[in-house]
Amino acid sequence: MSETILELKHISKRFPGVIANNDISLEIQRGEIFAFLGENGAGKSTLASIIFGMYSPDAGEIILRGQAVQINSPARAVELDIGMVHQHFKLVSNYSVTENIILGREPIKRLLGIIPAIDYKKARAQVQELIDRYDFDLSADDLIEDLNVSSQQRVEILKMLYRDAEILIFDEPTAMLTPQEIDSLLAIIRRLREAGKTIILITHKLEEIKLVADRCAIMSRGHLIDVYDVQTTSTQLMANRMVGRQLSFQLDKAPAHFGPAVLELKELSVIDAFKVKRLDKASFTVHAGEVFALAGVAGNGQIQLADALAGLVQHSGQIILNGQDISQASVRKRIQSGLAYIPEDRHGVGLFLDFDVTENLISKQYYRPPFAHWAFLQKKTSQRYAELLIVRYDVRCAQGPATIVRSMSGGNQQKLIIARELDTHADLVIFVQPTRGLDIGATLSIRQRIIDERNSGKAVLLISLELEEVLTVADNIAVIFNGNLTKVTPAAEISLAELGEYMMGVRQ
Amino acid sequence: MLNQVIIDGLAFALPLLVIAIGGIFSEHSGVTNLALEGLLGFGAFSGGLCFTILVQFIPFDSAVAFYVSFIAAALGGATFSLIHALLCIRLQANQVISGVVINIAAMALTGFLTAQLNQSFFSGSSNKFFLSTAPRYTLDLLSGLPILGGLVTNVYPFEIIALLLVVICWFLLYRTRFGLHLRACGDNPQSVDAAGLSVARIRLVAVMISGGLAGVGGICFAYSISTNVSPAIYFGAGFLAIAALIFGNWQIIPTLGACLIFGLARAASFQLVLLLEMDSSIFDLAMIVPYVLVLVLLVFFSKNNRAPKALGQVYDKGQS
Repeated sequence: MSETILELKHISKRFPGVIANNDISLEIQRGEIFAFLGENGAGKSTLASIIFGMYSPDAGEIILRGQAVQINSPARAVELDIGMVHQHFKLVSNYSVTENIILGREPIKRLLGIIPAIDYKKARAQVQELIDRYDFDLSADDLIEDLNVSSQQRVEILKMLYRDAEILIFDEPTAMLTPQEIDSLLAIIRRLREAGKTIILITHKLEEIKLVADRCAIMSRGHLIDVYDVQTTSTQLMANRMVGRQLSFQLDKAPAHFGPAVLELKELSVIDAFKVKRLDKASFTVHAGEVFALAGVAGNGQIQLADALAGLVQHSGQIILNGQDISQASVRKRIQSGLAYIPEDRHGVGLFLDFDVTENLISKQYYRPPFAHWAFLQKKTSQRYAELLIVRYDVRCAQGPATIVRSMSGGNQQKLIIARELDTHADLVIFVQPTRGLDIGATLSIRQRIIDERNSGKAVLLISLELEEVLTVADNIAVIFNGNLTKVTPAAEISLAELGEYMMGVRQ
Repeated sequence: MLNQVIIDGLAFALPLLVIAIGGIFSEHSGVTNLALEGLLGFGAFSGGLCFTILVQFIPFDSAVAFYVSFIAAALGGATFSLIHALLCIRLQANQVISGVVINIAAMALTGFLTAQLNQSFFSGSSNKFFLSTAPRYTLDLLSGLPILGGLVTNVYPFEIIALLLVVICWFLLYRTRFGLHLRACGDNPQSVDAAGLSVARIRLVAVMISGGLAGVGGICFAYSISTNVSPAIYFGAGFLAIAALIFGNWQIIPTLGACLIFGLARAASFQLVLLLEMDSSIFDLAMIVPYVLVLVLLVFFSKNNRAPKALGQVYDKGQS
């Protein structure tokens, strides 16, 4: 059974300013699920990209099935029966499942004996056969743009199988999936192993590794810490090794001292563009020094509530901030009255991706001194301000204030938004899904940041889909279901299971 | 009268369609091609030059020169399109600017070269290459029928060539591996790269095909409209072709419909002017009818059209 299929020997790779992989050696066995675990930027994706031929290593060699190989392009990797599902899918949106799968390897028939044309009938049959063999719940004729993320991912897997890949690399495959979809993906991965494939799984989620992986290589800041047998190693140990320090899952949370009411909502309702009532007469109060959490399954009106508060959507009802009615105020007026908003959609609402760090940091204050003098932007002042915030909020960006935000990792983009919002010293901070897609280290530091804000007397409204986050961070919890607030309770008086039942609408 | 509209309309619509299909190839591969006007002009110039040279050597058989000039026009257009390919694909320049520059450069260059070549080699002093009149064929058997008669009366040979090209292009784009790869480049070039294919090579070929087809369209217009190649060839057919392909949602068959509408509208307004015996100053005004029609139709029918997703985007391998 334990036959080495792929061996990495002393692989090193550096990029300008970072060592992505430092002298990494490991062996992967045929037919196992081998996981790379590490925080964002630990170098696991780089290592996978080297195996798949997207980067060539600066030093070291790759031994595949006992032979040293040069994998200098993805095409070469495919020839060597290596396949990869990227984090961002590489699918043609207006093509069918079949067309996407056969792209580059189309079966050909000859019309009139000479004219080569694609044999769509044969291609379709081959693809459908693969779908049926692995029970993928797809149709060969579906258009990609009509499929959800999880189905598109299955198409990517089929692409590898169609090319007879033997080593399958999954780069953060669960990042965009719902819990149910994650379960079915993990089942598929197990099925692939049963079919004799070797699987390399890159993730920062420990639970997933615990569920499927056989062995796990833990990486931190470009180094390979060690390879662990998943069955016999505790989760706590792996988590500690991953972040490279003793990790406390406990947050430093002092007892709450509520101050006066900062935010009062009175019968806030939102009706969307399709005339559907998304939020129905929500009323609650958030005090200074309080984390008020809104828990709920995605799509139950919490985003509409946050957008209404920030002034991004039309709404009825009253919003009172610090005793002032801001229901009809413009977005800028709301910001000036002390409202900070960390939105769910970081890329669409939170950031200007093609602007640099400085410009993003001053994007809510650029129009007033000291960032502007009359009509002129004060570049130096802004830059110094940005440098200050980068240090204070531990934002990692390669070129400092001039870094283009698109090039930064998700965790650092989020830290950037948080830095901008918290530094306006608003009395009310709205966090929507603040830790989505982030690794453990970044998640904990952001949760701690939320509690620090509350301790310093700010009112915090936390909107999150993660029960654990809501229970550990919040003082009071409201459950939102179908646009209604169904339950408001102190966090200490509700259990995880109960909270889940309210969220699913089992209890009212 | 109606027959004349159909005859003129087809003679205009089919070359326009060939140019528009050229545009479809380029744009479906993800390269915006506003250079069609310049490419058709340079193609016509190459065809005209070829014709002028050939009739020097074989003065009695202009039919050979006639057909060879089409090949020369295709090659000329394809060659000139290499500038667009170089700027947009290799040097990753802005595709709109590249297209506009090529249009202006083609106008200046062909005018200059025609005058110079005429003076130096063909002992003429005009800025035109004179072509022979293209032959026209009529299928006598059917020409008496209403409407259908118009389709088979006074048909230029290049209309047949155009139709053949349309069929070949349709097959190439929708039924072959190359076509599948090409259209994928216009939607998600990363996927093509991941499939082990070269985006740059596919786009290069696509742009050259578009240059070749535009060149053929250009020489067709040179034969049908003026029987010479002069700066008058730049009368906006390239831009009308772009409108047609957008109106046709970047697909060949709907674009055929769009070209027919434009061609017939143009021929009809022409006949209308003759019928009403209008003054020549009003004549020019009446000839804008097809273009106004373009505007109106685009407003109403192009709302749901979808351009290729990666159209106009520079593809950089390192980007994910």
